[in-house]
Amino acid sequence: MLSFLNELKAPITNGLLLGGLYGIIGIGLSMIFGIVRMVNLAHGDLVILASYLSLVTMTFFPISPLLTLIVVIPVMALIGFIVQYCLLNRVLGKGMNPPLLVAFGLSIILQNLLLLVFTPDARTLMTSISVKTISLGSFLNIPLVYLVDFIVSLITIALLSRFFNRTYMGKAIRAASDDEGAAQLMGINTRTIYSFAMGIATGTAAIAGVLVGMTFTFYPHTGPEYLIIAFGVVIVGGLGSLLGTFLGGLILGLAQILGAHFLGAGFQLLCGYLILLIVLTFKPTGLFAKG
Amino acid sequence: MAKPLLRVQHIEVFYHDFHALWDVSLEVEKGLVVSIIGANGAGKSTLLNTIAGVLRPSSGIIEFDHKRIDGWMPYQMVAEGISMVPEGRRIFPRLTVLENLEMGCYVPKARQKRDQVLKKIYELFPILEKRKNQFSITLSGGEQQMLAIGRALMSQPRLILLDEISLGLAPLVIKNIYQTVKQIHSEGISALLVEQDIQRSLKACHKVYVMQSGKIRLEGRPGELSQEDIRKAYFGV
Amino acid sequence: MELLRSRRFIGIILILLGLIALPYWASRYWILLVLLFSLNLALSQMWNLLAGYSGLISLGQQAFIGLGGYALAVFSVYYGFPIWLSIILGGTVSVLFALLISAPIFRMRGVYFAIGTWTVAETLRILFSNWKYVGYGMGLFVKPTYALSFNTIYFTALGAGVASVALVYFLLRSKLGLGLMAIRDEETASETLGVDIFRCKLCCFLISAGVTGAVSGVMYLHHIFIQPYSAFGIDWTVQMVFITIIGGIGTIEGPIIGSFLYVFLHQWLSEYPNVSLLILGSIAIGAILIAPKGIMGTVQEKLGFEFLSPRRK
Repeated sequence: MLSFLNELKAPITNGLLLGGLYGIIGIGLSMIFGIVRMVNLAHGDLVILASYLSLVTMTFFPISPLLTLIVVIPVMALIGFIVQYCLLNRVLGKGMNPPLLVAFGLSIILQNLLLLVFTPDARTLMTSISVKTISLGSFLNIPLVYLVDFIVSLITIALLSRFFNRTYMGKAIRAASDDEGAAQLMGINTRTIYSFAMGIATGTAAIAGVLVGMTFTFYPHTGPEYLIIAFGVVIVGGLGSLLGTFLGGLILGLAQILGAHFLGAGFQLLCGYLILLIVLTFKPTGLFAKG
Repeated sequence: MAKPLLRVQHIEVFYHDFHALWDVSLEVEKGLVVSIIGANGAGKSTLLNTIAGVLRPSSGIIEFDHKRIDGWMPYQMVAEGISMVPEGRRIFPRLTVLENLEMGCYVPKARQKRDQVLKKIYELFPILEKRKNQFSITLSGGEQQMLAIGRALMSQPRLILLDEISLGLAPLVIKNIYQTVKQIHSEGISALLVEQDIQRSLKACHKVYVMQSGKIRLEGRPGELSQEDIRKAYFGV
Repeated sequence: MELLRSRRFIGIILILLGLIALPYWASRYWILLVLLFSLNLALSQMWNLLAGYSGLISLGQQAFIGLGGYALAVFSVYYGFPIWLSIILGGTVSVLFALLISAPIFRMRGVYFAIGTWTVAETLRILFSNWKYVGYGMGLFVKPTYALSFNTIYFTALGAGVASVALVYFLLRSKLGLGLMAIRDEETASETLGVDIFRCKLCCFLISAGVTGAVSGVMYLHHIFIQPYSAFGIDWTVQMVFITIIGGIGTIEGPIIGSFLYVFLHQWLSEYPNVSLLILGSIAIGAILIAPKGIMGTVQEKLGFEFLSPRRK
């Protein structure tokens, strides 16, 4: 029994750390879902777009991928703002399907654009962090990059939480998500607010993309995989709370790594999908949703 | 009479295919309280929502301080000095009381005087200061109504639109709320009030409009109109 | 009116005769184009039935493409079943699978349904690529189709395309169609009027699954080789979505126009498949923003012209 637990120590730690990364992948989707009430089907592709942007930045300046965030975050935020302002805002309030389909079209456009520019080759954001492991205790070695992912995610979520609770715009975003009409009566231009919210969401996608690029290989077509992970995080964690989303990430990460541990590496993704389907079936509002 | 601050001239409003307002004209003079009364579905709220920019008139003119404002978005109205307490209060449930008030002065011009105005609002509604860090959903109905009024005042409006502020409240609370309407008036803010309760309304205002079936049927000073005329216009007999 | 209708009828017959005779007068290239057109038409017509008429945005139609294709491969290669029987079995497997997942999947609505169906397809993709019986990720050769002539495959594809249009046409004129129209106009009202929304939608889901699975079998007669990553890939549904939206969602003619444009653009830019998807994606987004009813819907609105009206006169 003891040796069994001992054996599980590594996958559990890895799963939780990976979960941190999943949390940051899901947070942008969760924000837009909660605030604009729209599922951004292009979210995964925006994450991968950020990975490529980081890659491009690294070819110009030989710096660490994490430092490229100085460039990648603003660029991604601007892209998000423009997409919301020029495209998605125009189909809001016209039913569920048009925004969904516009985002879907955007996803396909992004994938093919990336394919056109970067070829289908696998890429990574090379850094010395990627290959190092650190040992915690005598038996436990974990990849350093997982730890970095986790810490960066935590910092991001702490900053986001500060933003939403302390700044005028953060509060206005929350107000608009509570009651769009009432927010307008307060003098808030909700469509602009939505665009800023999308900008922030794609800013988090930028962070997620750089972390993903440091941790795994990526291709132009990897986006949808992360979309489904992000959706899983949102569904498991429920809408409307940063902490819930983070917890959702941890659960999904843990489930995947444990699944891979017991069933083989091929089943890592499968476990995540199955959990998503089960939660969708029995409690589509999410495990941690109130009421 | 004082100069008109708000002038609504011959507006027509449609809800999809439904003709909601027919040739409605109305004036609110500077510093006065004007009320609109009428039965359910008479078009009172529609009129208020049109002035607030939530609905757009298909024809007619709305002027505020000699500036045409019809067709503007609600958030532009707030910046111009019109602020509304919507029907059903519509406070932000997942924001705290203080945050709700802060949203009231989201407009940059109002934000500069935030602390001053906040102090005034806390004087007007001391309970709000006591509960400022509570989530607003935890307030009682009367407190929520005070919050909604306080929130609307945060933008330092020149005209405040009050939509059914006594709905669903206990008589004592209603009395309290109308006390504050008087105070708002004494600050020099004009008010346009929509109310189903005729007597309450007549007591609070300087001028009254009676609406029925999307049309203005009667207007005048409360003292000059007979009960019989008002009743007739109200029920459309 | 009667004259116009009979003229229209004659027109349709003439076009069909022309297409049937195509192998006897056109080059192989043109036959191939019509073949691809027919297959795309059949698949997107089924997505249209779901999204346009039942309000179900499925992003998991590729599940049935994969199942249909693999059924063809497994039954014809491993068991030596006749090819046509294998194709029909592919449709049957798809219907059964659709029935199996309908219990959980119909608890999901709107966006949840879209992501749910997509996730189901992704799950199948992983399962098939880890399944020894179907050759893991390497996939299977559908060898028996070598015995078929190109023309046979063409006629089957053409038949599938025509049948899919006819199917939706008659479905919409049936009791089911009336139910769907009622749902589309006013979901809550039609429920109180006794329209069984769940059954209507389930019916469409099953029909669409079955036809998609069978058409996929026909498609793999042409492709010959099946592999999980492409068979269960989202690209199939992307095609159906773009074709239907550009042509006109919720119109029978929409997928016809859309498939025509799709095949045309795909061939024109055949050396740059990404570019054609890029263009199609942009057109689709433009359509949703500017003409949400697509080409056919807009034409119908502007001119009052309906070629294949689903409504009873």
